Amino acid sequence: MKHAILGATALALLATGATAQEVTLGRFFGDCENAGTDTKASVGEACIIQSIINAADAQLDGVSVNTLPTDWGNYYDQIKAAYAGGTPPDVHVMHRHRVPEFAGIGALADLTDDLAAAGIDPSDWEAAALEAVTYNDRIIGVPMDFHANLWHINMDLMDAAGLVDESGAPILPSSPEELLEHAAAVKAATGQNYLAADFAQFPLGVRLVLALVWQQGANVFDGDTATLDTAEARNAISAVTQLFDAELANPQLNYADSQQAFLNGEAAILVNGTWVVDFYASEAANTETALSNYYAADFPTLFGDGATWADSHMWAIPAPLKANDPETYNAALQVLAFINDHNIDWARTGHMAVRSSVLESAEYAALPHRNEYTGTADIARDTPPSARYGAIQDVLNREFQAIWLTGKSPDDALADAQLDVQDLLDR
Amino acid sequence: MPQHQAKRLALSQRQAALILLLPFMVVYGLFLVYPFFNGVWISLHDWNLMAVAFNPDAKAFVGLQNYERVMWGRNITWGAFASPALQVIGLLGMLASFLLYRSGRAGRVTAIAMGLAALLLFVLPGFHPGEGGRWYDRRFWPTVGNTILFVGLAVPGVTITAMLLAAALNGETRAKAVLRTLFFLSQVLSVTVVTLIWQIMFSPRQGLLANVTELLGGSPIVWLTAEGFAMAAIVIATIWWSLGIAMILFLAGLQDISQDLYEAGALDNATGAKAFWYITLPNLKRTITVVVVLQIILHFQVFGQSHLMTNGGPNDTTQVLVRYIYQTAFRDSELGRASAMAVFLFVIMGAFSILQFVLGREKDE
Amino acid sequence: MNRSYYWLVFAISIPAFLWLVPTIWMVSLSFQPNDVLARTTSTTGLGLIPIPFTPDNYIALFQFGQVPMWFFNSLIVSAGMTLAVLAVSTTAGYALARLDFPMKGPIVVLCLIGLMVPEQAVFIPLYTMFADWGWHNSYHALIMPRVAVPIGVFLMMQFFKAVPRDIEEAARIDGVGWLQIFWYVMLPLARPAMMTLAILTFLYAWNDYLWPLVSAQQREFFTITLGLASIQSNFAQAEGLGRVMASGVIASLPVVVLFLIFQRYVVRAMTAGGTKG
Repeated sequence: MKHAILGATALALLATGATAQEVTLGRFFGDCENAGTDTKASVGEACIIQSIINAADAQLDGVSVNTLPTDWGNYYDQIKAAYAGGTPPDVHVMHRHRVPEFAGIGALADLTDDLAAAGIDPSDWEAAALEAVTYNDRIIGVPMDFHANLWHINMDLMDAAGLVDESGAPILPSSPEELLEHAAAVKAATGQNYLAADFAQFPLGVRLVLALVWQQGANVFDGDTATLDTAEARNAISAVTQLFDAELANPQLNYADSQQAFLNGEAAILVNGTWVVDFYASEAANTETALSNYYAADFPTLFGDGATWADSHMWAIPAPLKANDPETYNAALQVLAFINDHNIDWARTGHMAVRSSVLESAEYAALPHRNEYTGTADIARDTPPSARYGAIQDVLNREFQAIWLTGKSPDDALADAQLDVQDLLDR
Repeated sequence: MPQHQAKRLALSQRQAALILLLPFMVVYGLFLVYPFFNGVWISLHDWNLMAVAFNPDAKAFVGLQNYERVMWGRNITWGAFASPALQVIGLLGMLASFLLYRSGRAGRVTAIAMGLAALLLFVLPGFHPGEGGRWYDRRFWPTVGNTILFVGLAVPGVTITAMLLAAALNGETRAKAVLRTLFFLSQVLSVTVVTLIWQIMFSPRQGLLANVTELLGGSPIVWLTAEGFAMAAIVIATIWWSLGIAMILFLAGLQDISQDLYEAGALDNATGAKAFWYITLPNLKRTITVVVVLQIILHFQVFGQSHLMTNGGPNDTTQVLVRYIYQTAFRDSELGRASAMAVFLFVIMGAFSILQFVLGREKDE
Repeated sequence: MNRSYYWLVFAISIPAFLWLVPTIWMVSLSFQPNDVLARTTSTTGLGLIPIPFTPDNYIALFQFGQVPMWFFNSLIVSAGMTLAVLAVSTTAGYALARLDFPMKGPIVVLCLIGLMVPEQAVFIPLYTMFADWGWHNSYHALIMPRVAVPIGVFLMMQFFKAVPRDIEEAARIDGVGWLQIFWYVMLPLARPAMMTLAILTFLYAWNDYLWPLVSAQQREFFTITLGLASIQSNFAQAEGLGRVMASGVIASLPVVVLFLIFQRYVVRAMTAGGTKG
C-alpha cells in the first residue's frame, strides 16, 4: 500500500517535471488538432492560431510551445484559478476588457523595456492597439487584433427582398422603423427570418443592444454609477424585440444554432463577430451549404452615431515569470514576437490587424470581404474599463435574455440590471 | 507466520491501533477537518482570490458581513402571507404531519422532520423587502429556490419511477435481471457524458426529440432556452441518470416483505395493483423514506447538469446553489462570499444527514 | 410462468428500450461522418442506425487529440484513489472495529461528523490550501481530498465488526501480534468488502467533475470527465458532433464494462455507499 502511494507520487513528480525552455501557452478559440505549420493555409480561428503556434514551436530555436486547454466556456475561471494557484501559463491570450482585472493587482509582467530586444516594435501598432495594452503608462501585453460585431449577410435572401443596391452592396436599415420594414420584406419575399444571432447563450445579443445604446450617445455605466435604466436602453431593446414580436427573428437560438440557421439559408442576416468571416466565406464556396452569396457588412447605424461592439485579443506574460524565471521569460517573449510577426496571418480570420504596416499592405487589402467592412474600425466601441467586466456582462446577458426569452418587462429587467450593476461597481 | 518475529513485533493494542489509525487520521485532519474550519474562517473575510494570491495581506476580517450580504437585505420584514401559496402549503404541511403522527401513519422522526420542513416553508417565504428595501443579493434566495424546485421535481420523479420499476422487476427470472441491468446502466455514466447526450437530445436543430416532433409534423421545443422547459429538461436528464440506486434500494426493500403477506392478500382478492397498494406500499414505508432523504442530499448538490446544459439560464431559472458558489469563487474571485454560501449549503446538508442517520438508527432497532 | 408474466416483461421492455435510446443514439452518432451530421442527425432510423457508417471518429480520436491522455489520467487518478482509500480505510476500519484504545468513542463520532461535510463545502479552502502548497495540476491533488472522506472507514468498520471474535482470539492465543492478525487474518476475509469499496471509489473517481474542474487547469492533468466538459463548452463545435460523441463513448466504456462484469459488486457498492453516506 505504501508502495502504491509512493508510486503515485513519483509518477506525479515525473509528469510535472518540465524542460527549461518549454513555454506553456494558454488560449481559447477552440481546438484544432492537425493545424500543421502552414500559417497561410489554415481556416478558422482555432486552426489559424494553432498553425502560428505550431510554426513558432518548429521555427524558434530552443523554444518549444505547449498549448494548454483551448475551450472558451471556463477560460477566465480557469486562468484566474491558475494564477491564484501559482501555475499560470507562461504566455496567455486575453481580452483588452480584462486588463483592469489582471493588471490592477499586478498579475501581468511589464513588457515595456523588453519589447525592442525581442524584436517587437510598438511604434508599428495602431494608436488604439497601443492604448489597449497599456495600463498606467506601461505596456503589459502584445495586441493581436481588433474584433467587432459585423452583420453577416446572405445576399440571395436580400436580393429576393429587393434589398441590394446597384453596386451590389446590401441595403441596410438606418432606423428602427426601417429595420422592421426590411425584416417584413424579407419574410414576405422568402418566408425566412431577417435576422439571427446568439440571443440565448453567449452575450452576442447583449453586444447588439449595447451598440444601439452607444449609437444614442448613452452607456450602461459611467465611472462608479450604473446608467442602465434609461430611455436610450429602452429604445435599443425595443428595436430588437420588435423583430421577435413580429416573428421576424427567433431569440431562442444559441451560438451554434443561430450560425447553423444562417448557413442553412434560414436567416438573411447573422450578427456575429469578425472571427467568422473566413469560415463563412469558405462555407459559401461549399456547394452543400445553402449559403452561397456571402457579404460582411459594417454594423448599420440605426440611431445618431455609428457604433458597434469591439474588443481586442492580446497576449500577456505573468509577472511572476519575469521576476523568477528570466530564461523562460525570454523564450515567452520570442513566442510573442513570432505571433506579432504573423499579424497578417491572424487577420485572415476576418479580424482587423493591429500593425500599421500590415493594415497598409496589399496582402491585407486583398483578404476576402475585407473591403466590405472598412468602416468598422472607426465605429468600434466598448463599455468603460472595469475590473468587474465579466460579472457585468453576465448581468446584462441574464436580464436581456429574460426580456426576450421569458417575457420579463424591459422596465423590470432594466431596473434589476441597474441595481445589480451598481452593486458590482460598489464592491 | 514465524513465532519469534511475532514476539519481537508484539505491540500493545494501543500501539497497534495508533499505527493503523494514524494514516487515515492524518489525511482526515489535513484534507477534511482543517479545510472545513478554514472555510468558515475564509467566510468571515473579504477575500479576493487573485488579490490574495499576489498579496497575502489583501484580505480583511469582516465578521458576519458576507452572510449578511448574501442572505439579508435592507428593510427586510416578515409577513404571514407575503407569499401565500407557499405559506399555505407550509401550514397545511404542519397540520398534515400532526394528523399523520396522531393517526399512527408516520413515525415520530418522520413526523417531526415533515413538520419542521413545513414550518420552514411557512416561515422563510414570509421574509420580503419592505417599503424601499431590497435584498442585498437579489439572486441568492431565488437560486436556493431553484435548487429546492429541482430537488422537488427530481426526487419524486426518481422515487416513483424507481418504485414502480422495482415492483415490476422484482423476481429471479433472467428477463427481469436483464431489464434491471438496462435501467441501471445509465447510473454509472459520468455527469459530463449524461449532459453531452442530453444536450444534443434536446437541441432544437440536431436533437432526437426535435427529429421526432418534426416527423410528427410539430415544431420542435427549444428545451434548454425556454423558460418553462429548461428546468424540466435537466430534471428529465437527472431522472434518466440517477434512477438506478433508488431502484436497487427498493428491490432490497421488496426482498424484505414476506411472501406470506401476498399469499394472504391473494385470498382476499388483492392481486396486481391492489396488492401493490395495500401490501407493498405500506411495507415499503421505511425504504421510501431512506430513498427520499438520500436523493434529497444527492440532488441538492446538483452542479454539472445546470453548468453544462443550460448555463443556469434562461433568466437564472436553472441557476443552482453549487453553481452560484463556484461562480462567485472562481468567476467573481470572491472567496469570502462563496464560502459563506458553502457554509449555508453545509448547514442544509448537515440537517438532512442527521435525519438520514437517525432514520438509519431507527431501522437498526 | 404464465401469460401475465410474459405480458409484464413485454410491457416493460418498451420503456426499457426507450431508456436505452439516448445511449444508442450517442453510439450511433459516433459512427457517422461529421459533415453529414452537420446537416442532419436523422439520416437512417431517426439517426439511431449508423448509416452512413464510418469509424473515422474513433481513428481520429486516437491519432490526435487529448482523449487518450485524459483517459490515461483518469485511470491513474481512479486507481491511485482506490488504492489509497483501501489502504487507509481497511487499517482505520479495523482499528475502530476491533481494537481497544483511549478516546475511541470520540474518534468514531468525529469521523461520523465528517460524513456530513459535502465536497462543495470544502472545495474552496482545499483550493487555497493546495495553491499555497503548489499542489494543483498533479495527480495527488486530484486524489487526496477523496481519501479523507470517512465513508470507506465506516464501510470497513461495519464489516470488521461482523467478523466473529473467535478467529482473532485463536490467533491471539498463539501469540500473534495485532498487525499480523490484521494483515494475515482479517484482510483476506475482507476481500468482498474491499471489492465493494474499491468499485465505489473507482466509479466516484472516474466520474467526479467539480474538484478536477477547480484543481486541474492544465490539460495534461484533465481527467476524461473534465475533458469531455471542456469539449462541450467550446464556442463553436470545432471537432464535429461525431467526434464529440465518440469521446463520450470512450469515456463511458471502462465504467460500463466494469459494471457489466462486476454487476453484483457495483449494485452492492452503490447500495452501501448510498445508504451510509
